[in-house]
Amino acid sequence: MTASDMGKPSRLNWLTSEHSLPWLLPASALMVVFGVYPLIAAVLKTLYRKNAATRREIFDPLYNWTKIFEDPRMWDALLHTLAYTLIALTFQLVLGMLIALLLDSDRKGYGILRAMMTLPLVIPPAVTGMMFLLMLNGSFGVIARLIIATGLLPVGYSILGNSATALPGVMLAEIWQWTPFMVLIMLAGLRALPKEPFEAAAIDGATPVQAFFKLTLPMMSKVIAIAVLIRGVDLLRAFDYIKVMTDSGPGTATETLTSYAGRIYFGNSDYPLASAVAILTLVLVIFTSTVFMRIFKVKL
Amino acid sequence: MELSRPWQIARDALAAFVTAIFMFPIFWWALTSIKPISAVFDKDRIVWFDFIPTTINYAVTMLGQSRSQLAIDAGIGMGVAGTEAYDSRSSILDSAVVSIGATAVTMMVAIPAAYALSRMAFRGRNAFLNWVLGQRFMPPIAIIFPLVTTYKWLGMRDTDNYYLGWLGLMLIYALMNLPIAVLLLKSFFDDVPKDVDEAAMIDGATRWETFCKIVLPMAKGGVAAAAVLCFIFSWTEFLLSLFLTTDIRTVPVKIQTFVTSTGNEWGFITALGTAAVIPGFIFILLVQRHLVRGLTLGSLKE
Amino acid sequence: MSFREYDKKTFLIDAANDFTARRISKRSFLKKTAMAGVGFSAFNLGLLGNLRKDRSSLFGSPAWAEEMGDPAVNKWLKDVGSKFKGTKIRYTSEATPPTVVLDKLKGEFTALTGIEVEIEIVPLEQVLAKATQDVQGQLGSYDLYYLDQSWVATFAQDTFDPIALYKDKADLAMPGMDWEDFSKPLVEGLAVYDGHWAGIPFDIPIMTTMWRQDIFDKHKLTPPNTTDEFMTAAKTIFEAEKGNGMFGTGLQAKSGHYSLECDWTQVVWNHGGSIFTKDKKFSGNDEAGIKGLQYYQELLKISPPESTNSTWDGQWQMGASGQIALVNSWDEFFPGWDAADSKVKGLWQAKRPVRGTVPYRAVADAGFGEIPNAAHQGGSILALSKYSKNADAAWIFMQWACSKDIMTRCTLGGGFAPMRLSSFSDPRVKAKEVVGPGTTRHLPVVKEIIDNDMASEPDMPLWAGFSNNEIPVNLGKLLTGQDFGGDAKKCMDAIATQVNKAVADAGL
Repeated sequence: MTASDMGKPSRLNWLTSEHSLPWLLPASALMVVFGVYPLIAAVLKTLYRKNAATRREIFDPLYNWTKIFEDPRMWDALLHTLAYTLIALTFQLVLGMLIALLLDSDRKGYGILRAMMTLPLVIPPAVTGMMFLLMLNGSFGVIARLIIATGLLPVGYSILGNSATALPGVMLAEIWQWTPFMVLIMLAGLRALPKEPFEAAAIDGATPVQAFFKLTLPMMSKVIAIAVLIRGVDLLRAFDYIKVMTDSGPGTATETLTSYAGRIYFGNSDYPLASAVAILTLVLVIFTSTVFMRIFKVKL
Repeated sequence: MELSRPWQIARDALAAFVTAIFMFPIFWWALTSIKPISAVFDKDRIVWFDFIPTTINYAVTMLGQSRSQLAIDAGIGMGVAGTEAYDSRSSILDSAVVSIGATAVTMMVAIPAAYALSRMAFRGRNAFLNWVLGQRFMPPIAIIFPLVTTYKWLGMRDTDNYYLGWLGLMLIYALMNLPIAVLLLKSFFDDVPKDVDEAAMIDGATRWETFCKIVLPMAKGGVAAAAVLCFIFSWTEFLLSLFLTTDIRTVPVKIQTFVTSTGNEWGFITALGTAAVIPGFIFILLVQRHLVRGLTLGSLKE
Repeated sequence: MSFREYDKKTFLIDAANDFTARRISKRSFLKKTAMAGVGFSAFNLGLLGNLRKDRSSLFGSPAWAEEMGDPAVNKWLKDVGSKFKGTKIRYTSEATPPTVVLDKLKGEFTALTGIEVEIEIVPLEQVLAKATQDVQGQLGSYDLYYLDQSWVATFAQDTFDPIALYKDKADLAMPGMDWEDFSKPLVEGLAVYDGHWAGIPFDIPIMTTMWRQDIFDKHKLTPPNTTDEFMTAAKTIFEAEKGNGMFGTGLQAKSGHYSLECDWTQVVWNHGGSIFTKDKKFSGNDEAGIKGLQYYQELLKISPPESTNSTWDGQWQMGASGQIALVNSWDEFFPGWDAADSKVKGLWQAKRPVRGTVPYRAVADAGFGEIPNAAHQGGSILALSKYSKNADAAWIFMQWACSKDIMTRCTLGGGFAPMRLSSFSDPRVKAKEVVGPGTTRHLPVVKEIIDNDMASEPDMPLWAGFSNNEIPVNLGKLLTGQDFGGDAKKCMDAIATQVNKAVADAGL
């Protein structure tokens, strides 16, 4: 509590700027109308059983939930979701940090490089998906053909059309697009570091590598944690790339929870079941982010 | 830190190379947009630069010309007759209006909330912060149908009123952006020393005055950074825009129009995709300085 | 006729068609005819309608629009349609040729009636999702739906029967509708569900066997008539042309996509199987079904590997880029392959689709109104929504869009198969039966296919789901090696379990 809060008389001042209410009201209103209500509606929806033929919905609260927990496809999707998140996040984090270190310089031209690095962020993921769909095409795509030219893959190999390589293919788009986001956050963190500890370390004869692990990393731990949190939450809900590039396929090789929900929503039009899968995703996101914040003691 | 000259050159080269790799897909995309289709789909080789460039894809998507007319004039044409349905200018407008509007709404809502979270002690402060953060946890697919029925009830679909349709998208994007904006802004307000506004308030200024005259100006870099991110997230959103609107077609939705029953119109897809990068890029260039400085997330505060 | 003369004639016909389809102004049309050295009077005036005065300055006005279509229809539009002036009607559709062309022609309708028409074009599965959302919430966002034949049973309860409507709303009935003119097999295959029309047939992509004349000549092959001959020819081409980057055939085998389901249905039928038996059980896992799927697996081995990630888009590219010289797929590919800058212009030919060597399963032995035959079709209908708030205005538009003149001009604009018998024989359509953009030279074959070979998928409300999810996803698992170890039977059994359970759950 600040001194000013305590100094004020305790009469009805909730309409003035001294009280927190007016400050919080706009955000709360937005969250209630467009956040709370749809959430409740979505949860209620999962309690109904939809007859696919008559389209009638009957109250049967456990039907969808037992269905998804007994569904091997859901468990696969859960695994894919976790794998997709972990792998993509690791790449984005490590690449993001390395590139940030590389671009963190005041020399001429680096400003332009940093600006160009930001460019992938402004492309809609649905468009990025189309882009990589074309570039990964085994017959005509430039990336696929360059890889094939190195002999790593057989001629004409369809990266997105084989269950072994489809997930890496989709991740490539994801990593390409969001590594720059990590670069930005890391750069901001690096640039805000105080100079003195590094000068002291250099005098003590520490190598740059030692300085990085002993000074940079610990000092940036909070930035990294928040960056991981923001990206992780988005990755767990990843949808656009998968929808556009493979639509969960081939088979279910790239099916994550949200893309599974999407397939049920788009294909079978079973909104209650799709909602159940989506709500399960929400629970997963809440659970993992809470655990993450506890373990790494993230304070927002 | 200082590097010896050969190392410096190596670093410069590596930095340029890495950036080039990340630029490559965009470059390729732009290149594809001026290729004739036969150069895009060549089964024998990758066509790099040995093709006769065409502007037809831009003339159709960005100038609203009819492809069949152009094809007659130029003596080329692929697939079925093209029409003005491919004119994408209104989509760029829709996207720009919605993104800018959503950014403005987000800022109006997030700034006061972030300030309160940074400066005021109130019951349920942590719960509120988590609630805000939770807005980004929801998979959009779960809330599409409830949102559509809500908008129908409110008369806010674009089929009821085009401008309210814009507003509808702005509001839901604002909600989607709220967590990131609040998180960023709060970290900025945290960085402004509390002594400053307390001193002002002891001098008799109200909180509102202190906020407007002292705290906000000191945090404007953070506001800029938050605004950029909100703009980017709104500019690139696909699923909600697809389902919530009919007449309004933001760029990501519009591009889907070119996936047709007789083949994807890759020329138009690449042209619109390339064109859609430009407004976002201009925006980023304008605020680039703030962006790198602004995303510190309060890293150095304990 | 010399080649130059032939070229000139094509140029003229194209210009004329572009003019009738309002793609070019009268002025530039006249300029083009003059360029081609043809006196105006030499041209068949009947082809173009009334050309007495140059009225290009009136573009978009009622006077201009009146010059375009059928006078009786135009009068009706002005008398009846203009009562709904200022109304805005919407429909959602895939970007199929008729829709794309109609989107272009709709200006004439608006000029005469003052009714605005907004056509929302999205990919096929998004049309399904958006239309479903609309009926589920009874939102009334759309006045008309563009329904794929595989969803008709799902949406039949949400649309008006146009035949009944035409009788009931005599004041809104369009003159010269001529319902008999609609091709019978199309009406029965696409529009009719449970004895009623769910909408009006609007588009008919249908499986056709297409081959490259030059490659077949080179290897002294004859176009295949049966599935066995198809396999032999495909293998011959594959062996002979491997070095040139050419494959035996190409497939639209994208996992989880409707295109794969279409391919699969066709091979099952061709081997004497069906999707359902008459006792409403999934029968893709019976002997005939397994044979069909194994045949498909065999084809995949001699197809471009990218087939497993290709929808009709990828398959079309295979044909356009010279990767394949033989394919059993949609006739709508044809006009694009004949385009002016196409590498394969004039090389592709079309014939009736290959047939199985065993008899097709009888309709009586298949379930849910399924019709096994040699030509899978992916037709669609235009349907009027029961939740529409502007049903009358939308009904007027729907009749206009399905009128003789408009449907014929749609065909001219896109070179796809028409719904009306009169369009097939229309002189303008006949005139375009030459190699070139928007060619109609495959249409006589298509008409034959529609009349003789047309098949139909099961009519059941769950079919939209099965054909977009359960069936193509499991097929994808098999074809890309994710599951089932290449065993067709295991894959089909898995589908059978899921489908039969869903059918039982729905109480069908």
